[in-house]
Amino acid sequence: MNYFPDEVIEHVFDFVTSHKDRNSISLVCKSWFKIERYSRQNVFIGNCYAINPERLLRRFPCFKSLTLKGKPHFADFNLVPHGWGGFVQPWIEALARSRVGLEELRLKRMVVTDESLELLSRSFVNFKSLVLVSCEGFSTDGLASIASNCRHLQDLDLQENEIDDHRGQWLSCFPETYTSLVTLNFACLEGETNLVALERLVARSPNLRSLKLNRAVPLDALARLMACAPQIVDLGVGSYEDEQDSESCLKLQAAIRKCTSLRSLSGFLEAAPHCLSAFHPVCHNLTSLNLSYAAEIHGSHLIKLIEHCKKLQRLWILDSIGDKGLEVVASTCKELQELRVFPTDLQGGGNTAVTEDGLVAISAGCPKLHSILYFCQQMTNAALITVAKNCPNFIRFRLCILEPHKPDHVTSQPLDEGFGAIVQACKNLKRLSVSGLLTDQVFLYIGMYATELEMLSIAFAGDTDKGMLYVLNGCKKMRKLEIRDSPFGDAALLADVNKYETMRSLWMSSCEVTLGGCKRLARKAPWLNVEIINENDNNRMEENGYEGRQKVDKLYLYRTVVGTRVDAPPFVWIH
Amino acid sequence: MEKGGLGLEITELRLGLPGTEKMMKKRGFTEMIMTSSGSNSDQCESGVVSSGGDVEKVNESPVAKSQVVGWPPVCSYRWKNSCKEVSTTKVGLGYVKVSMDGVPYLRKMDLGSSQGYDDLAFALDKLFSFHGIGVALKDGDNCEYVTIYEDKDGDWMLAGDVPWGMFIESCKRLRIMKRSDATGFGLQPRGADE
Repeated sequence: MNYFPDEVIEHVFDFVTSHKDRNSISLVCKSWFKIERYSRQNVFIGNCYAINPERLLRRFPCFKSLTLKGKPHFADFNLVPHGWGGFVQPWIEALARSRVGLEELRLKRMVVTDESLELLSRSFVNFKSLVLVSCEGFSTDGLASIASNCRHLQDLDLQENEIDDHRGQWLSCFPETYTSLVTLNFACLEGETNLVALERLVARSPNLRSLKLNRAVPLDALARLMACAPQIVDLGVGSYEDEQDSESCLKLQAAIRKCTSLRSLSGFLEAAPHCLSAFHPVCHNLTSLNLSYAAEIHGSHLIKLIEHCKKLQRLWILDSIGDKGLEVVASTCKELQELRVFPTDLQGGGNTAVTEDGLVAISAGCPKLHSILYFCQQMTNAALITVAKNCPNFIRFRLCILEPHKPDHVTSQPLDEGFGAIVQACKNLKRLSVSGLLTDQVFLYIGMYATELEMLSIAFAGDTDKGMLYVLNGCKKMRKLEIRDSPFGDAALLADVNKYETMRSLWMSSCEVTLGGCKRLARKAPWLNVEIINENDNNRMEENGYEGRQKVDKLYLYRTVVGTRVDAPPFVWIH
Repeated sequence: MEKGGLGLEITELRLGLPGTEKMMKKRGFTEMIMTSSGSNSDQCESGVVSSGGDVEKVNESPVAKSQVVGWPPVCSYRWKNSCKEVSTTKVGLGYVKVSMDGVPYLRKMDLGSSQGYDDLAFALDKLFSFHGIGVALKDGDNCEYVTIYEDKDGDWMLAGDVPWGMFIESCKRLRIMKRSDATGFGLQPRGADE
């Protein structure tokens, strides 16, 4: 099998970068397994409890980049109680003890402490890149450690984390000699920012490509920052209100004109709508625009901005854009690949401005569209069928009709046929979220047609266990299944336990699954961790009472090669 | 300007315009998400409009959709930011944003610190260092600019028509607009709500 020396094979492997492909390579033969494991640079661990640090280091002793994900996806919607788990500390401790030359750490939905960040900053001389997404547990003191100690840091990217802002001087902890910054994103920090330190940092960072500011950076500071960094590619504007003078706005306009490399724009948390015109000169080059936090901008200002953005590939927007606004997007943004429309009125006041018409318009106007997340008040089967015809290339299709169980608003029928059309037409669909009134029928369609589906989110849908069974039996590539408030129970859960070894995880909350059913599953499948999350009924859910017929509120199960985790809090029972 | 001479009922602090049965459909967030997750205690109570003391919560029945934990599936970071936006454009007393046509920046002013329309006129003059705004408020047809405001329902109204108390209750933001632009703007005509 091997006609070449190992070095040559390793060199060939260098061109194989996707995790899936590298995993496949390592299964070919023992020799390739060995070569691959010593040469793998980037390790991706989708569930931090599927493996442990020791096993990681034994298999891959030479990696430079580690990606770890902790809590399940529904944690984003507060369905996972505080303290559940996902602690990064043991990982950093183990890596620090080893000889791994860690350069990049990417964490999602994990608990990170200041202690972890301090240890990280001191343990890896060549550490270059820290990306934290939806994490919690740390403060700006931890950031200060990173700034002080990581001499070769290039990226500090904080996305949507809960950070305790001590309003300290973390920005001034970057030494004066430090000039290697490429990415700085602190948009999620709540507190004040040391503007002087920030300006000096930006001024001495010639390689800075991505800068995302927080609310506390006002307009005049923005103008000065952009003047220092005309090479910027990705900009997150902070607070866009100006209380001082119009001179700042003119300076900003002048600075923006010089930013000819600008491709991505976001922020505008508190925005003066008519100041957007300052950005019109760079709009024609923008490929990514995120205005989904800019609740103040809507109507004509928004449309005027978008009309200039002919090269847009990614657009995140609020539903205040309205169907008419989406029609403008459809006729202007012919390169659009990804669209997300978020709800403005989270209180259910019924003022949402996008309907099925907006979705249809986008599908008709944007031939390259492959990913969509769409929150709306109403939908029809007819619209979804049209969308499916217009856009058979969807990879990700997430539709959220705000009112649970809402039927087709014209025919009052369930939306089975509409979603059925989507899965039948979109042969490459990898991710799907369904909503509205749905019977078991929609799951029959999903099981039948969604052959490439890897992630499915179900809420308030289905009639019987058959629904869940259609999905488990049909979707061979399913990796993550998350279900809430749907009438699926033990029969579906237990029908094929081996299926779960082919999946990363299953989440079921407010369904019909019982304690007895979970225990039976755990006995049949020792390679699974079957977690029952029980925050409200600490005492009531007795293990030995009621013959296990009690309903389980939250079930989270996942395959693992390292058995029961030892860091579970008391309200999590693992079988 | 109509000040006084009106029965107390007209200036009663209520949700919705006088003479209408409109009720705000907003709900309280108290049953929402941030329960024993303990992640944060400053819950999003902004579904409730506080009008100088009395907190009115309208809890309509349909399957208490906003009382379902974790629904709609919007990540908690986004919830918090959306609530922040609601609280900065607080309806009623407090800061409102003021924009003026042709001026590329916004101002914020505290309506609660003005005693009436005269005061407001003076404050606006100072804010934009432009005389004539005050004139616009008082002497409608003689001025190049008109002062309009956006009310709780998102409608734009001419400032000065309703009693001061009602005005500061419902004003969400102010805009000083060129008279010539105002005609095509879709302002609610005077007396529409009488």
